[in-house]
Amino acid sequence: MLDKLKSIISKVDANYSDIRYETKKETKIIFNGEELNQIGSNITDGYVIRILKNGGLSSIAFTKEVDAEKAISNALENATLIARNVEKPIELAKTEVIKDTFLPELKEDPRMISIDEKLEITQKYNGIPLKHNGISTTTTQYLEVIREKYYVNNEGSEIREDLITTRIFGTIISKDGNLIQNVRAGVGGSNGFALLRDKEEEFEKKTNIVLDLLKANPVKGGVYNVILNPSIAGVFTHEAFGHFSEADLIEDSPTMREKMQLGAKLGSDALNIIDDPTTPDQLGFYKYDDEGVKARSTKLLEYGVLVGRLHSRRTAASFEEHLTGHCVAEDYRFAPIIRMGNIFIQPGRKTFEELLAELDDGLYILDSKGGQTSGENFTFGAQYAYIVKDGKLGKMIRDINISGNLYKTLQNITLIGNDLDLCKIGGCGKGQLNIRSCHGAPHIIIKDVIIGGM
Amino acid sequence: MEKLMEIAKKVSDKVEIYSLEKTENGIVFENAKLKDIDSKLQSGFSLRIIKDGKLGFAFTKNLIDREEFVQNALDSLKGGVEAKFNLPLTKDLPKLQTYDPSIETLTNTEIVDECNRICDILSPKTNGQINLYAGSEVDKIRLINSNGTDLSTESSFYYNYTSIMYPGGYSSISRVVTYKHFEKTPDECLNYILNTYNQASKEVTPKGGKMKVLFLPETLYVLMWRLWFATSGKSLYEKQSPISERLGKKIFDKKLTIYNNPLYDRMPGARSFDDEGSPCQHFLILENGVLKNFYYDLNYSNKLNKKSTGHGFRSAAWGGDSITIKPTPFLSHLYIKPGDKSFSELVKSIDRGIIIAGALGAHSGNIPNGDFSIGLNPALYIENGEIVGYVKDSMAAGNIYKVMKKVIAIEDTFYPAHSGTYPSILFDNVSVSTKS
Repeated sequence: MLDKLKSIISKVDANYSDIRYETKKETKIIFNGEELNQIGSNITDGYVIRILKNGGLSSIAFTKEVDAEKAISNALENATLIARNVEKPIELAKTEVIKDTFLPELKEDPRMISIDEKLEITQKYNGIPLKHNGISTTTTQYLEVIREKYYVNNEGSEIREDLITTRIFGTIISKDGNLIQNVRAGVGGSNGFALLRDKEEEFEKKTNIVLDLLKANPVKGGVYNVILNPSIAGVFTHEAFGHFSEADLIEDSPTMREKMQLGAKLGSDALNIIDDPTTPDQLGFYKYDDEGVKARSTKLLEYGVLVGRLHSRRTAASFEEHLTGHCVAEDYRFAPIIRMGNIFIQPGRKTFEELLAELDDGLYILDSKGGQTSGENFTFGAQYAYIVKDGKLGKMIRDINISGNLYKTLQNITLIGNDLDLCKIGGCGKGQLNIRSCHGAPHIIIKDVIIGGM
Repeated sequence: MEKLMEIAKKVSDKVEIYSLEKTENGIVFENAKLKDIDSKLQSGFSLRIIKDGKLGFAFTKNLIDREEFVQNALDSLKGGVEAKFNLPLTKDLPKLQTYDPSIETLTNTEIVDECNRICDILSPKTNGQINLYAGSEVDKIRLINSNGTDLSTESSFYYNYTSIMYPGGYSSISRVVTYKHFEKTPDECLNYILNTYNQASKEVTPKGGKMKVLFLPETLYVLMWRLWFATSGKSLYEKQSPISERLGKKIFDKKLTIYNNPLYDRMPGARSFDDEGSPCQHFLILENGVLKNFYYDLNYSNKLNKKSTGHGFRSAAWGGDSITIKPTPFLSHLYIKPGDKSFSELVKSIDRGIIIAGALGAHSGNIPNGDFSIGLNPALYIENGEIVGYVKDSMAAGNIYKVMKKVIAIEDTFYPAHSGTYPSILFDNVSVSTKS
């Protein structure tokens, strides 16, 4: 396949070209309540070509091999059009030529597990909540995505890498009269099928929470001091800060670039944030990104000071900063864009009990329900929370949504726990979906957070 | 496709093949300068077979080995997914004008020129940053089934999404125009964006509390997602709809009439059949505040002893590749009936309140319950009928079954926006939290 790809781009008359071919095998098993809704495996495939000519960079995705020539001429035309319209020619930062095949080590290869066994384990976890009165339904999905990637560029790189993601996740819904509550439950990762086994506890715990939520009161809107648990602190790190450190999101915004200059003091002294896709056995692991650059651990915030950001070859050149290997595509339908790989707040020294005592009065907020960001503003939802009074956990409350401003909030992170935990399920939609987006944090205290109430 | 049908028919009771071919060009302008052009040539096939009341499902991008493709669908039969529905025989559908051949000769150069024209008009008149997303698309769909249905449609699209951004983020005043062919963005649209932005270019920090809230077409999806969920046959079947018993009852303010109309072909993307071959129709969800209908596909209508309402579409909340998605009930062409007030009359009628011009976090929160709690990104603050500035770091929250009962007035024009075509709607007494 690599030879075929080389032959396709050998016809391109341009300064730079690359081509990625991928097959994507998706296995899905979906339960809605007790009913099996979908089961099966399918393979799809396609190509993405990128061309840099005279300072114009353009990409095209196509699915039929016979369309290759048409695709190339289309991309060349678009690159030329861009070249005519840009003030400063687009350049790509220099990177080493890599010839490598990297197939990750797995604890049980999901390709070797029968679909019957996958069905059985999904059904088992799906059945845990359904045994309880008060649970109205569930949605539980087994998802296995196997991407076999072949990458070639005209600088001589030839890379073959597999990305294997497995997870069982879903929503558990409880109902009492007209009141409906839901929580998410899930297990998963990037290093094999074994991590899906013996995870009954996760589904049992979440079942109890969604039943308790039926008795919980809604939060009163206002400004609170809060402790975030690792799951939601990780989402905060991803949504509020992480997207802002993606160079493509700020590249053409003078006002954002001004604020995000390296050396700017953005956070409190306690705050250190890193993105490290290279750590093995976590969800966001990869060796090379989708422009053939080796992934690097990248310090973003050190003692509250901005010290780095995530780059593609294009943005590394335009910012004159180091390559980080963070330019990644969802699959063969997309050209790569800058994505976080595995972003987390480095742990501090305090135990959870010490954080509670420090908070005194406020809210303890747990588990994310999705978030969204738009430059300096962010909003994200939490699955549940507890009132904290005099340093002690009180009643459960529900309907928690947090909103804030990046800069103010980073300054308001006053204390960081010692219990770092990385997420097992990802899902970041920045135009493309990234199911391997990993984030994490220890427990943290944030002062003056806006909570939207009913 | 016919060969595939022959092979599949031999081994199953019912067969449906859906194919999609798509050509897309997307152009991005950031800070009034061309940044990216991205193209896609995508195609694929989706196969559903039914044998002994069980469903087999498979999809592929390239129809190379038809036997293997059918085998893949047969393999998935073993899971035992129930499918008791019949595939329709649909013919003699109304002819819709969905394709304008001029789209084939539209070049990216012309679109780039149009974007430059817009930047030239807006740039001298505003301090805000200008971002544009424009492009063209042609979709060809063909659907055949073993019952003799053979339907196809071809649609052309041109769109131009113009926004003026507030400093420091992606918060903006924006509007999209969509046509079946290339057309310049009208001055009226550019003036709306420009005037609204310029009136609200100063940051203000008003007090929170209950107030009048004007949702723009661009942010009404926050409320509509919750209504989509509640009126879907799937939610009914799963007993998750909080309004399952309210058919024929008044659930919202009488000014609200909401319908799905795939047949309206003045807009691009009109459809006479859904993604499983059922005829589409002008379909009332809500009339004068009264809940009129729930919407179904073949599968959920069968489970609930109803008829499909022509709402089986291969769409998912986060987009996705339609050939990889089984049809589910979906509101594909949603409209809210316009009211009788102009946008400026609506603004003038507000003594104290906000316009929600952008929302963050619409997908979080308790959707089945109808709750929403969104970051305002941004909100424009109004005092005594005048827009006085924009508000950051604030939230609005509520429940659609309370908020949508308190409609003060509806704008007299609708605009294409995220997940539907809507006018602006002014609601009373919505909870807003701010930092002051």
